[in-house]
Amino acid sequence: MSDLGGPALGDSVLEVRDLTVEYSSGGYAVRPLERFNLQVPSGELVLLLGASGCGKTTLLSALAGILTPTCGTIHFGAIDVTHLAGRALTAYRRHTVGIVFQAFNLVPSLTARENVEVPLLVAGVRGRRARDRADELLDGLGLADRRGHRPGDLSGGQQQRVAIARALVHDPPLLLADEPTAHLDYVQVDGVLRALRALAAPGRVVVVATHDERLLPLADRVVHLSPGVDAASHAPTRVTLKAGEVLFRQGDPGDLVYEVDDGEIDLVRSLSGGGEELLERYGPGRYFGELAPLFGLQRSATARARTPAVVTGSTVADFRSRVRPGAGDEAAPR
Amino acid sequence: MLLIALRDLQWRRRRFSIAVLATSLVFALTLLLTGAGNGLRNEASRIVASFGADAWFVPEGTSGPFTASSVLAASAADEVSRLDGVERADPFLFMRSTFGASDPIDVNVIGFRVGGLGAPRPEAGRAPRGPGEAVVDVGLGADVGETVEVGGSRFQVVGEADGVSFNFGVATVFLPIEDVQALAFDGQSLATAVIIRGQAGATPEGLTLLTDAEVVADMRRPMTSGLQTIDFINSLLWLIAAGIIGSIVYLSALERARDFAVMKATGASNGPLLAGLALQALVLSGASAAVAVVLARPLEAGFPFSIEIPGSAYVVLPLVAVAVGLIASLAGLRRAVRVDPALAFGGA
Repeated sequence: MSDLGGPALGDSVLEVRDLTVEYSSGGYAVRPLERFNLQVPSGELVLLLGASGCGKTTLLSALAGILTPTCGTIHFGAIDVTHLAGRALTAYRRHTVGIVFQAFNLVPSLTARENVEVPLLVAGVRGRRARDRADELLDGLGLADRRGHRPGDLSGGQQQRVAIARALVHDPPLLLADEPTAHLDYVQVDGVLRALRALAAPGRVVVVATHDERLLPLADRVVHLSPGVDAASHAPTRVTLKAGEVLFRQGDPGDLVYEVDDGEIDLVRSLSGGGEELLERYGPGRYFGELAPLFGLQRSATARARTPAVVTGSTVADFRSRVRPGAGDEAAPR
Repeated sequence: MLLIALRDLQWRRRRFSIAVLATSLVFALTLLLTGAGNGLRNEASRIVASFGADAWFVPEGTSGPFTASSVLAASAADEVSRLDGVERADPFLFMRSTFGASDPIDVNVIGFRVGGLGAPRPEAGRAPRGPGEAVVDVGLGADVGETVEVGGSRFQVVGEADGVSFNFGVATVFLPIEDVQALAFDGQSLATAVIIRGQAGATPEGLTLLTDAEVVADMRRPMTSGLQTIDFINSLLWLIAAGIIGSIVYLSALERARDFAVMKATGASNGPLLAGLALQALVLSGASAAVAVVLARPLEAGFPFSIEIPGSAYVVLPLVAVAVGLIASLAGLRRAVRVDPALAFGGA
């Protein structure tokens, strides 16, 4: 697709299968992505939507070949991204993927043109060829008169367009954008959105991670990485558990708030070296698991019955209506 | 990547300039100390060579004519002159004394036989022709025709000699040997050595024959610890220079971690990134070495003794500076290698 060393991947499909990423955070095992699947045909713009910490950036890092997943596979066309190493990985990062970073990440000492030229210089493209390519991209993004300016002299929107030009310098068939509108006001957002939409043309897959819902109309497909908050009120769900039975696992989407009616529930967190740590033990009358559904997060711990137990699960809305102000973690009597 | 390294230096030019100035001062000091050590080593060989002797007879058990206080009869020179192979022999007397009346300073005093070996070759004026006349070191600031006081006695300056200081840069006064005998031994006809020209076929009893090289080695012996101190301080200065360069490069690596992450994420390998950082270290050390050469000249005047910077030092300095720069940048290079490209995905 490019005369600058880019691969001829044609209408490649991006395919993510059973992708799990686990890493250690403060000694605990954190799994921002678990058994994640995605298939994107060429020409589509996919929006990864979700709150901070839901795994958007983790997924982009894995797609870019920067992060090695714990298990699962990523294929882009014929390329098995998850098994790339050495020169093949460098070539993939250099020619197949273009990345637009959240904080622009332009080199402050370089002009806009030089920032765009950098990936070409890295790839061994020199002199006038590199300069012409940089100018072509900057002109196409409406930055012809800003080529010689340093990032500090550009607006946020202009910096982001320079970052887009840099990502496109090898005409990559896979473009990843991490929160491309995070630092832009509504005036600046316009130019960036137009550019991203125009890039999702046949021969290229565009994946945009964001929590900015203004981007929704751009997308051919939206993938929600955070569980939604169920604001509606439903009848409480009563669950009976045997000793040792798991109510929910760490990393699961948070849906209900639970109150212990009978028996005991242990909240445990997986440790990065294996094993678990007991966080808290809950007995009758106490509630747990409210933060995940309240804030749309994944479960940060596993809930397991220590003894035969009965718990009642309520939606956030229903639970709110029953909790007495100042009652701590004890629910009001029903 | 070299473009980025050079642009970064331009971008941080104020810090770079301060670092160059600080490092160049350190390099200039290393040049001056090298010159000082060289000067101290040279002064002994220079003064000994100035006598034009082929060998020295000193009292037996004496290590050299400039370091021992043993004396011999000045008439021993006549006995030596009769030895086979000896073309000429003259008595020589060395002592330490003071120069000036109101604010005296230490001087080396050398007594020589008028018209004989050991007579000074002044740059200005002439050599003494008889008692009461002196040739003085130009460093003493006395002009020809002036009357000066040496060891409490007055002498007329008839000549000025250059490059005759020794014993850690102490200036020298040349007097006829009779005047020095009057100053040191109340006029007794004594000497500390007999200077000869020719190859003595025998050694008279009670005397030891020394070559020029042995005399020089004897003069340098008391300087050994001083020269070692100079060498040690020089090593410390190289370390300080390495510290400055290393800190600057490491700081640059720390501050540019995000840039490195972005470049790695976009397919840059470690090699070009490291080459860029190493180039910064090289530019810093090279520029510092160049400024140091310029700075050394005016600083040289502040030293109390002769600074003789060897020509080789100007070649060695940039080479060692480059090596120091590269070694000092290792921590920064290591830091750059360890930058995780995933860092590029972080927020502002």
